[in-house]
Amino acid sequence: MKGRYADENIKWIPALIGLVILLPFMLKGITFSYKYYLYILNTIGIYLILTVGLDILSGYTGLISLGHAGFMAIGAYTSAILVDQVGLPFGFSLVLSPIIAGCFGFIIGFPALRVSGMYLGLTTMGFGFIIRRLIIALREWTQGSGGLAVSSPKLFGYTFNGDWANYFLVWTLAILSIVASRRMMKSKVGRAFMAIRDSEQAAEASGINLAQYKMMSFFISGVFAGLAGVLMAHTNHFISTDHFDNMLSIYFIIMVLVGGIGSIYGAVLGTIFIVLLENLIVPVIEEWLHVLFQIEAGDIESLIFGLIMFLFIIFQPTGLYGMWLKIRIYWKLFPFNPKQRFT
Amino acid sequence: MNSLFTEISQEIVSGIALGSIYALIALGFILIYKATEVVNFAQGELMMVGAYVNFFLIQSFTSSMGAPTFLTFILGLLGSIIFAVLFGWFLDLIINRPMKDEPVFSIIMATISIGIVLRAIVGLIAGPMSLVPKSPFGGAHIQLSGIIISILDLFIIGAAIALVAVFYYFFNKTRWGLAMQATSEDPIAAELMGVPVNKVYSLVWIFAAIVAAVSGVLLAPRAAILDTNMGFLGLKAFPAAVLGGFGSIPGAIVGGVILGIIETVSMGTLSFHFQWVKEINDIIVWIVLIAVLMIRPTGILGTEEIKKV
Repeated sequence: MKGRYADENIKWIPALIGLVILLPFMLKGITFSYKYYLYILNTIGIYLILTVGLDILSGYTGLISLGHAGFMAIGAYTSAILVDQVGLPFGFSLVLSPIIAGCFGFIIGFPALRVSGMYLGLTTMGFGFIIRRLIIALREWTQGSGGLAVSSPKLFGYTFNGDWANYFLVWTLAILSIVASRRMMKSKVGRAFMAIRDSEQAAEASGINLAQYKMMSFFISGVFAGLAGVLMAHTNHFISTDHFDNMLSIYFIIMVLVGGIGSIYGAVLGTIFIVLLENLIVPVIEEWLHVLFQIEAGDIESLIFGLIMFLFIIFQPTGLYGMWLKIRIYWKLFPFNPKQRFT
Repeated sequence: MNSLFTEISQEIVSGIALGSIYALIALGFILIYKATEVVNFAQGELMMVGAYVNFFLIQSFTSSMGAPTFLTFILGLLGSIIFAVLFGWFLDLIINRPMKDEPVFSIIMATISIGIVLRAIVGLIAGPMSLVPKSPFGGAHIQLSGIIISILDLFIIGAAIALVAVFYYFFNKTRWGLAMQATSEDPIAAELMGVPVNKVYSLVWIFAAIVAAVSGVLLAPRAAILDTNMGFLGLKAFPAAVLGGFGSIPGAIVGGVILGIIETVSMGTLSFHFQWVKEINDIIVWIVLIAVLMIRPTGILGTEEIKKV
């Protein structure tokens, strides 16, 4: 039997997929600088894959990761080396590199079994630093901190060249990741993750193997981050360790938190919101500040992000998705709203 | 052989000085953690703010009173401590009060976001250039059988030991210290026994801000550079706190000094003699952290935490 609020409105999904397909054509019709917007959309798609994975780890299983850019770096560099230096086809690396990143997630899962809370945050943060250093140390393959040029993705004899082709590659995989992660979180695995998040002791008492499921969560999250890394490497055509610094890991958490932690759609919404803010709104604000107050605002971006994250944590802990749910329930019950519930 | 010995002792001495600074930052984490079970990831940024306030105070004193002396340094230190008191109280008001019953994850993220905001605001006010603070002792140093120890390093070590001792005494012997211990054990029971829990929380944040300001004031002349990246050094004090045992005040100085020595020795002699050590220089503290967490998560002086279901 279906509950009143546990509804899953599937009618939306084909419409959304249609919108994703039509969006580039609409942009091309509206503006001449559509290529810039396509680039932003590609960035959203790539980050979205990662934040969905991060949400599985942090939102569903309740494990903190402050080093997710490290997994992304592993995926990116593994794929770049496998395709350009070993000579594997891109399609093969698209499968293999995320799995390798997932295995690193498995390794970092070991200390996670013993520590929790802020200790885990520290461990994963250290992992991010160590991965960056490791990439620089393996300069025979990665060319150290100088960066690495990467070839375009080739699938089934077709070369994805430019933002237009990349858009469809990235968003196909992004939609697949969203669907796959939603299905996963509705299955036994997802329920086990949520049980661990809510109470480790209760979960263990009801027969959930804590070690196994925590490792699995890290593995899945690593796979998603690795996939994002592969796509980033091959659509950007250039990667360096500066692309994966620790600030990026924090930005990913901001995306998940702003969107609404513990829901896949929340991660998606947060990613769209933050990337659009970074690329469209922040430059405008910087220009205003420059014109109005003659301030050369160097770091206004992180100021805005920090403030947004802080305000969301204090005033809207359920994020954008939680806001949307509240509005929806409000309208559903419209004439009979219990007032105090929505204040 | 003698020269190698001198070299290593020299590195150990400067490692102790560096470790004392780590110990001071770690002391800030531990104070807040002990009383409120919150981990303040913005401690490094608090330190940076303290250093900047001190720098600007000294600058304004010198412009009005002439050449910098030891007196201006002390006045600057006092000024930044007064600022830190206000600032710590303010942080308690905006972070700790509204987030009392939130999960750890949210609180960690809130302190991280405060850190980001502080870094950006200081960057906006002070401009993008890094500043060059001067040591109050000039280049004064003493020499002990070939080992050079600067007076500033001695001052740093002394200040760290003194502050750790003061807070150890405060926590274990005074009335307010016992109130803090009671609060950390069980806030509700403490409140029922008449402990003003909210005042205790404010006091702890103020103490942490003071410790951070002192460490910033001492670190800036030692590093001879002051920019907004100084906040990242606060992250390095986490491994120190974990190594010493989170929640143990003497653990701060033990962990800090051990970590400082490990870092300077690996940067100096070990890197010189072994090629591969050079690669792991700047992540060695994180390797130590992960090793400690895998082997003994409670640290050297920490006590086992028992969790109620």
